[in-house]
Amino acid sequence: MAARVAVVGSGLAGFTAYQTLRRALEPGEIAVFGTDADPAAAWRVRAAAIRQREMRSESDGHCLPTTFPGLAFGSVRRRRSLRPLLESALDRYHPTVGEFLSHVERLRERSGWDSSLVGRRVERVRAVDDGFELDGASFRHVLLAPGHPGLNVPEELRDDPRVVHAYQPHGYAPTVTVVGAGLAAATEWLNGLAAGAEVVSVRRREPVRSPLNVPRHYFSRRGLAGFYRLPAGERIERLRTLLAPSYPVGDQWDEPLERAACEGRFRIETAVNGSAQVICATGFRRGFAHDPLLARLVTEHDLETAGEWLVLDPDSTVPRLSDARRTLALAGAPAQWAFPGADTLAGARYAAHRFLRRVQSCPTH
Amino acid sequence: MSYTLRGRADSRLAALLPVLLGACALAGALHRWWPVELVALMAAVGLALDLEVWHRLLPYQPAWAAVPLGAVELGALMAIVYGFGLQAPLLPALALFGAGWLTSLVLTQGGFPLLRLGYAEDGGELGQVGGVATAAVVLALAGSAATFVARLPPVVHLSAGVHRGPLVITRREVLQGEPGAVVRGGIVVAHDDVEIRNVTVVGGENGITVDGVRGTVLDRVTVQGAKLDGIHVRGAGVVVRNCTVDMLGNHLGQGIDISFNMGMGMSMVEGCTIVGGMVGITTHSSMTEIVRNRVSRTTGQAISVAEMSMGSAMDNEIRDALGVGLNCDDQSMCMFEHNTVVGTRPDRASGDPTRNGIGVLASFRSEADLWQNRLVGNRVATGAVTSSILRTTKKPGW
Repeated sequence: MAARVAVVGSGLAGFTAYQTLRRALEPGEIAVFGTDADPAAAWRVRAAAIRQREMRSESDGHCLPTTFPGLAFGSVRRRRSLRPLLESALDRYHPTVGEFLSHVERLRERSGWDSSLVGRRVERVRAVDDGFELDGASFRHVLLAPGHPGLNVPEELRDDPRVVHAYQPHGYAPTVTVVGAGLAAATEWLNGLAAGAEVVSVRRREPVRSPLNVPRHYFSRRGLAGFYRLPAGERIERLRTLLAPSYPVGDQWDEPLERAACEGRFRIETAVNGSAQVICATGFRRGFAHDPLLARLVTEHDLETAGEWLVLDPDSTVPRLSDARRTLALAGAPAQWAFPGADTLAGARYAAHRFLRRVQSCPTH
Repeated sequence: MSYTLRGRADSRLAALLPVLLGACALAGALHRWWPVELVALMAAVGLALDLEVWHRLLPYQPAWAAVPLGAVELGALMAIVYGFGLQAPLLPALALFGAGWLTSLVLTQGGFPLLRLGYAEDGGELGQVGGVATAAVVLALAGSAATFVARLPPVVHLSAGVHRGPLVITRREVLQGEPGAVVRGGIVVAHDDVEIRNVTVVGGENGITVDGVRGTVLDRVTVQGAKLDGIHVRGAGVVVRNCTVDMLGNHLGQGIDISFNMGMGMSMVEGCTIVGGMVGITTHSSMTEIVRNRVSRTTGQAISVAEMSMGSAMDNEIRDALGVGLNCDDQSMCMFEHNTVVGTRPDRASGDPTRNGIGVLASFRSEADLWQNRLVGNRVATGAVTSSILRTTKKPGW
């Protein structure tokens, strides 16, 4: 069976899209382009680097096509307790990293992921009649899920030998400066303190405290409707506000920091000082221009952009290259113009649902 | 979940659909309209709150909010039910609401997300399914309303003047008397769900006989000159409201006799005036509420709950009875609350000490609970004989 639908990217966003596509298509009808068979490979390394134990996402932070049943149901079985369900009702359930990775592994085995995988990186996407050419192979519907375009290290620190990015494997020196104000930074503050280090937090702004990456109503049409109505300039500003670094409220974060501050082991400064180690918890490079595949796509097809974002329709498709016969859609972080929380599992599912609708609405697939 | 307004309406109506269908089936089985009325009211209350309150207050609604929101909706619903006098029994009504709430919870948290990809992202909107569900709910309600109207009993108007009886009613109908409508010779109710309004009955063996049928309502009827009982009920469920029964000169007859209808549920006598006769209102093997009646000048007992009955008499006014005012007799369980019994006279001619002008009497293994009764000018205020118990309680009710 010849594949007619392609997913470019074999990370979690591509994997989530694949699970949704499998509702309507056989593995042979889907080609997934990527260099790693393990969809959690990149994420696993980053989670291990910051010693992450729990997911920030909640019960529906999974790769299944429907939000129900969430991971809390599986936890009920494994833990033999109704507590996960109760916590989920209270929005306080967070699966462990282990539970999430097992979930990915199970889905990978039963969905036929490996048989759809084409083990190579796509360098170029070119629009052709009734579809797209991916390095020579043609597909009518293509979902691009290229992931983050690399780790972000502030310009002034790039040549500093003390610097390590939070998402790279590392230990902790006796004195550590953590640059950043998001979840990875907060995790690194606690990690450094737990390792016995003296920790300095360097940040440009006070951290936003928020349970999820973006406010909850931006995960549904309710919040998105107003977002879509914004003029481009305001939408860019709104995106920058929404995507500002944040980490959840909770004593598990605040108490250790307060205790360490009293002991003189934690303080906030405005610039990197003389610490033995500098950890950049500054996330990823942002914008299509940093991704060679997307940058080339934009240039070759003269696509509309806004700030660092590629302009997309609300269904996460590229307007100029999607019509009744073909679809080019984005998922993951590059799709934030359509869905501010695109860089989450729920965001990946959002793009996947809309992509599947378009695939199904095309009479020849 | 962040619902859009349409999402709230779609989800609510689609979740209500199975409950509405169940209510329609229940209404058909019970021959009562309240289940459908209640579900229609649930939809109306829910949609009104969605529109005016929940949508404005809750940009995001966590799963746990279903509990307090459900409680508020239940409170609003019950306030309307009781405020507008909807005839819905409390426990079944609560059960129906609970079923609706639970169905909604299960469907919105599990069913709809499983059935519709993107249910959460779409803010609870169900697309075409939502439209179909809304149409189905409207159709079901409209169909039920049409059925209700179509099944309303025909109204038979009885013109002013004297009509020769006995009048035997053998179909479901409302007999509506015009002012001055009189039936001479009695009325016999021989079919379920008959309502008689504003009719005066003169003479007859019994004034009005109700035998072996359900759902009879006698509203503002007047009975005069019956040879035996004014209103005679056997093995039937009745509601008698605002009647007048004149039994003066009939020393053996009974104003209202409701007997042997334990299997018919609660009957009620409310707001009636009974004068004369041996017994004003009596029940035998019956569950009847006797409320806000005025009974006077009886020669046996004014109100008697007898023969293994289980009943209550509340807010009645009894005057000038001979022998006994309120009577709980023959292994009955009675609750007498807030009644006024005035001037019960001793029946000296009978020589019976249990008829010595007793305001409230319990006899032959009966139990009567009394609460705040006003007993004035009776020869004997209260009495309990032949292994009976008379208790004064601190609170109303059993």
